[in-house]
Amino acid sequence: MDFTLSPDQELLRDTGRALVREHCPASLVRAYAEDPSVADDLTARLSEFAGLVAGPAVDLCLFLEEMGAALVPGPFVPTVAAFAPIVAAVGANDVFESVAAGEATGTVWSPSPVELHAPAGDRVEFVAIAVEGGDICVTDQFELAPLEVFDLSRPQFDAKVFDAKVFDAKVTGDSGTIGHGSYAALYRATVAFSAELIGTTRWMFETTLEYVKTREQFGRPIGSFQALQHRLADMSLLYERAWSSVYWAAMAIDADDDEQHRAVHVAKSSASEAARHIAGEAVQMHGGIGVTWDHDLHLYMRRAFMSEEVLGTTAWHRARLADLVLQEGGQHE
Amino acid sequence: MHLAWGEEEERFRAELGAFLDAHAPAEAIGRGMEPETHGGIPLWAREWQATLFDHGWLIPSYPPELGGRNATDVQTLVYFEELAARGIPRALHFPGHAIVAPSLLEFGTDAQRELVPAAIRGDTVWCIGMSEPGAGSDLAAMRTRATLDGDHFVVNGQKVWTSYAMWSQMCMLYVRTGDTDSKARGISVLILDMTTPGIDIRPLRQSAGGTDFAEVFFTDVVVPKENLIGEMNDGWRVTMGSLAHERAGLWLEWTGALDHVFRRTVDEARRVGALEDEVVRYRLMALYEEVGGLRALGYKGFASYEKSGAAPEHALLKLATSELRKRIAQLTNEIAPSPENRREVLGTFAGTIGGGTSEIQRNAIARVLGLPRGY
Ligand SMILES: Cc1cc2nc3c(=O)[nH]c(=O)nc-3n(C[C@H](O)[C@H](O)[C@H](O)COP(=O)(O)OP(=O)(O)OC[C@H]3O[C@@H](n4cnc5c(N)ncnc54)[C@H](O)[C@@H]3O)c2cc1C
Repeated sequence: MDFTLSPDQELLRDTGRALVREHCPASLVRAYAEDPSVADDLTARLSEFAGLVAGPAVDLCLFLEEMGAALVPGPFVPTVAAFAPIVAAVGANDVFESVAAGEATGTVWSPSPVELHAPAGDRVEFVAIAVEGGDICVTDQFELAPLEVFDLSRPQFDAKVFDAKVFDAKVTGDSGTIGHGSYAALYRATVAFSAELIGTTRWMFETTLEYVKTREQFGRPIGSFQALQHRLADMSLLYERAWSSVYWAAMAIDADDDEQHRAVHVAKSSASEAARHIAGEAVQMHGGIGVTWDHDLHLYMRRAFMSEEVLGTTAWHRARLADLVLQEGGQHE
Repeated sequence: MHLAWGEEEERFRAELGAFLDAHAPAEAIGRGMEPETHGGIPLWAREWQATLFDHGWLIPSYPPELGGRNATDVQTLVYFEELAARGIPRALHFPGHAIVAPSLLEFGTDAQRELVPAAIRGDTVWCIGMSEPGAGSDLAAMRTRATLDGDHFVVNGQKVWTSYAMWSQMCMLYVRTGDTDSKARGISVLILDMTTPGIDIRPLRQSAGGTDFAEVFFTDVVVPKENLIGEMNDGWRVTMGSLAHERAGLWLEWTGALDHVFRRTVDEARRVGALEDEVVRYRLMALYEEVGGLRALGYKGFASYEKSGAAPEHALLKLATSELRKRIAQLTNEIAPSPENRREVLGTFAGTIGGGTSEIQRNAIARVLGLPRGY
């Protein structure tokens, strides 16, 4: 397994990082909660990278990690991370092509256990909806009911097909959920959201690391207290392990290797665990400022919570993983 | 980023595989990578180490005369992968090939370097004398003194927790040669022949039952001056070097050991009929995720090492693999209590205390993170 980034991959990551640094400040994320149209310019810029949907999972992940670190709002991430692989899987080729060309956006609604509640549904043209019986319907005729907003940068919705006049309706499978018969789409979406979550976690970790180096108490930086240092060391371990697990899964997907069946569960579960732990430690190490509305931490923490819940909870992923790993004579690696 | 290695690496793997098929002793296959020896280095392990050396498969990156075949870094990685996948250890004691050899190659005189092949092949068993009763984590506080007297040093003092001391012919001994309070600036390293008069080795029994280390007392032990490794009072550099060698290459052995013990945990859970229990499954998977994630992290570290010659990831791996090893053993005994599994837990603390405690590792990681020196 080779984790070395190619020059193109480094460039892609750096380009994504630079783009969001310039065009997605925290102020935009906050403003989005009031008026989602403020991110339209950002979405247009990002649409130039929609072609990533047709490329390797690793590249998509590298780019989405940067999106997660800036809490990029709007339809771009749901489109490339979830909608695109699903329209590809159901064979809605025209829709997929317009998505890859950056000309169309879409989101996904799917029930438990691999839940997605049409993130950014109010800003997309299409929705892929898992309808009764487990079929998937790709449509531009849909109805949304907003859910209570927790992640300010990514409102969620209940979605249903509007009427029989379905645009390019495609169905797949005969029962179950998205996972049925189209695991490739689900895997790609899962690892893509995991990579985004890794970026969100990275921001929380780096912000905290920076804070403990500058904030002084008792006449010295709080980062010199060993009680915090050791916890930061453990945070860095969790983060690095989760990062590695996510890209390992992405590589397994790209290689269409058997390992992918296990690796995607490990990726999502590890990314969620790191996010949850680091979010909690980040707030604690910020002290009072960490529990204010004004500090950006809670924006990230909210995203971390919601990302953990989508596309399968940790309990679900572990149960699936156990089925794969623990079967009699099953492989353990 | 990609999952599989190239054709050339796979050819290398196949060659190694053929060698292992032909030569690996039954005792080694599936044994796992853990170094514990429990009462001596068995004959099969000594012979196996020598066989590996003779075929250039002991330390592949070294030249043939040092038990290798001038392998590249990637080939070395493939080598460790294959050994780990088969649960085959290279050797059951590591100081000679993992610490002494690289230290002598880097800091030794020509004469001293002549000791290297035998150290790697295991013909001479080495121990490392660093820790003392008053100097464990704080190595710089060591007090065992070597006084230069003409053409030789005279050593007085005590070491403790010296692994393999009772089976060793040689010792890489850390001594104070500077003022009492010279700390790290007054330490030197000596090559000590363990048959020299004045050495008293008292084996210490470990809580898990085995006896793999000892306390070692020195009374007027005479060591020729030419046995000094590197410069006088410059031993700290050799210390840091030797520990770095230990940390740089061994992560695949550690994660390989984790694979092995995890598999055993699953077997134990199956044995006691706990494998359908949802709580057990959940907890097993949490550990499985850690094992896989740490292996992936090791590969990430390898990529940084290839690129920049440094891998901050390695600092995390010693901490993470040894702590995880402990938790796997604890869970095994929780699911399937047995005398063996209980003893197993006791044995796992060797990893979180020896070679720098987990707390010291966290201190080191804090440095890597750029945090100010701690209080
Ligand atoms: C199985 C085994 C094999 C060993 N083999 C060898 C060998 O071959 N040669 C050799 O020289 N030594 C060997 N050692 C010794 C080993 O290196 C020391 O035990 C280790 O460095 C810790 O030192 P100590 O035992 O004196 O504990 P102490 O240093 O007294 O530590 C006690 C506790 O205090 C903590 N602590 C100490 N300092 C700090 C700090 N600055 N910040 C936070 N916490 C701190 C430690 O983490 C630990 O939890 C071996 C040990 C074991 C267990």
